[in-house]
Amino acid sequence: MNMPILSVRNIEKSFGGIRAVRDVSFDVQKGEILGLIGPNGSGKSTLFNCILGQLKPEKGEVEVQGRKVSGLRASQLNKLGVGRTFQQLSVFPKMSVLDNIILAGQEHHGSMLSRLFGPSDAGLTEAAERLISFFRLDHLRDTLAGSLSYGQQKLVDAAMAFMAGPSLVLLDEPAGGVNLTMLAHLKERLVAYNAEHGTTFVVIEHNMEFVMSLCTRVIVLAEGEVIAEGTPAEIRANPKVIDAYLGGGA
Amino acid sequence: MQVLLSGLATGSIYALVAIGFTLVWQAAQTVNFAQGEFVMLPAFFVLAGVSFFGLPLWAALLLGLVASIVVLGILFKKLIVEPILPHGGITLIIATMALGILLKESVKEFYSAEAQPFASLVQSAHVDVLGAVLSLQDLVNLAISLTIVVLLTLFLNRTRTGRCMQATAQNPAVAEILGVNVKRMILYTFIINAALAALASFLITPIYLAKFSNGETLGLIAFIAAIVGGFNQIRGALVGGLLIGVLDNLTAAYVTAEYRAALPLVLLIAIILLRPQGIMGTSEGRTV
Repeated sequence: MNMPILSVRNIEKSFGGIRAVRDVSFDVQKGEILGLIGPNGSGKSTLFNCILGQLKPEKGEVEVQGRKVSGLRASQLNKLGVGRTFQQLSVFPKMSVLDNIILAGQEHHGSMLSRLFGPSDAGLTEAAERLISFFRLDHLRDTLAGSLSYGQQKLVDAAMAFMAGPSLVLLDEPAGGVNLTMLAHLKERLVAYNAEHGTTFVVIEHNMEFVMSLCTRVIVLAEGEVIAEGTPAEIRANPKVIDAYLGGGA
Repeated sequence: MQVLLSGLATGSIYALVAIGFTLVWQAAQTVNFAQGEFVMLPAFFVLAGVSFFGLPLWAALLLGLVASIVVLGILFKKLIVEPILPHGGITLIIATMALGILLKESVKEFYSAEAQPFASLVQSAHVDVLGAVLSLQDLVNLAISLTIVVLLTLFLNRTRTGRCMQATAQNPAVAEILGVNVKRMILYTFIINAALAALASFLITPIYLAKFSNGETLGLIAFIAAIVGGFNQIRGALVGGLLIGVLDNLTAAYVTAEYRAALPLVLLIAIILLRPQGIMGTSEGRTV
C-alpha cells in the first residue's frame, strides 16, 4: 500500500478530567473521501482541531505524507498542501467572490518582492475563474462575498480551499445550515472535484445522509474512541453505531 | 474659495491622522489614544536631528521618518500592543492613554514647554488660484496629503500585500489558515500608521510650531474625523478629515472663531445620533 496522505497516530486529548479523544489512530489514502462522524460530544471536533494543529494533543502524532506536522502553524500546514473549510462562514465579506478565491491562492506564488508590490491578482485570475465556473458561481463573480446566501458562501469557502491546489482538504461540517438544493449541488461538486483531481477529503459532519452518500469510507467516534470503521453500507448495518446514535446499551 | 481650499489643506492632514485610527482599529480592534502624540513626536525627532546631530533639514526629516517607524510603529506594536492586547481591548486603550501622557511629558521635560520653530520645505509665499490668494504651504500640504492617501489606497487595493492586510483586518483566523502571515500584516499596518503620523507631523508643525501639547487637539479632531467619516473605512477617515477641516474654516470665517473648537464635537454628537456608523462606514456586528 502507498504511503498514506494523512496518518493519525494514538491521539489523546483531555479537557480537565474529561478525555475527549482516546488513543485514536487511522490512515487516509490518497484520493479517499473519509467521513468522520459521531454523536454530539464524541470528540470529532477535538480530533479535527488536533489534526489541524489548533489543539495540542497530550499524546500522539499527525503526519501528512510521512512528515510530522504536530506544532506547525495553520499557514505552514496550508503551504504543505493541507486545505480546510470552516464550520462558521469564513469568507472575507468586503471582497468580491473573485478576490476571495484569488487571495486563497496568492500566498503560494511569487517572490517576497512580488508579494509586497506585485499586482493584487497575482496572475491567478484565470485559475480563480475556473474554480468559480466549476462551482457554477459565474453570475456572482464580482459580488461582495458578504452579500451572498449562506449556501453560496459555503461554495465560495470550498472554492477557496481548493485554490492553493491542496492534496488534502479537511471539510468541517460543510452541510451545516445549507438548504437541500444547495447541499446536493455541493456534494455533486465535491465528488466531481475528487474524481477530476484525486484530492483527498476528510469530512466531519452531523448530517448522516450527506456523509453516507459522499464518503467512500466512514469512521465513527463515540466518547472519544473509534467504535466503527468501514464503507457507508457497513456503517449503516453496524449495531454499535446505531447504539451510539440512539443511546442504547452496547 | 480661499476658505474652502485652506480648509481642505488642514482637513487633509486631519485625514492622514484619522486614517491611522482606522488602520489600527482594523488591525488590532483598538483605539490608539496616543495618536495625537504620535503626530507631535516626529517633529521633535527632526529637531533633534538638526540641533544635536547638525543634519540638514532633508536628512533630519528622513531620520524623523525612520525613528518614527521604529519607535511609533515597531516598538509600539512589540512592547505595548502585543503584550497587552491578549488582556483585552479596553486595557490596551488605557495603555495608549498612558503612553500619550508619557510621550507628552517626556518631550516637555527634554525640550521644555516652549514652542520650537520648525523649518518648512516650502517657501513662505502666496499664490493666486482662480482669484483666491492661497498660502503655498497649504497647497503643498493638500497635494502631499491627497497623494499619500491615493498611494495608500492603491497599495491596499491593488497589491497582494494590501489585499492580505485587508483580509487580516476582516478575518485574521481564516487569513492565517490560507497562508497569510497575519503577524507580519499587522506589523505593516503599524508601520504605515507611524509613517502617516510622521508625514502629518512634518506638514503641520511648520504651521503650529513644535510643542509638546500639539497632539492634544490634533488627536481629538482626528479621532472625531474617523468617527464622523466611518471608523472602519479609510475613505471615511478621508471624508471626515476634509469635512471637519472645511467646516472649521467656514465657521471661523463666516460665523465666529470663538466656537470653532466646539464644531467637531457638535458634528460628533450629530453623527452618533443620526448615523452611528459614520458617513461612509458600515455597521459591524459582533458576537458577545
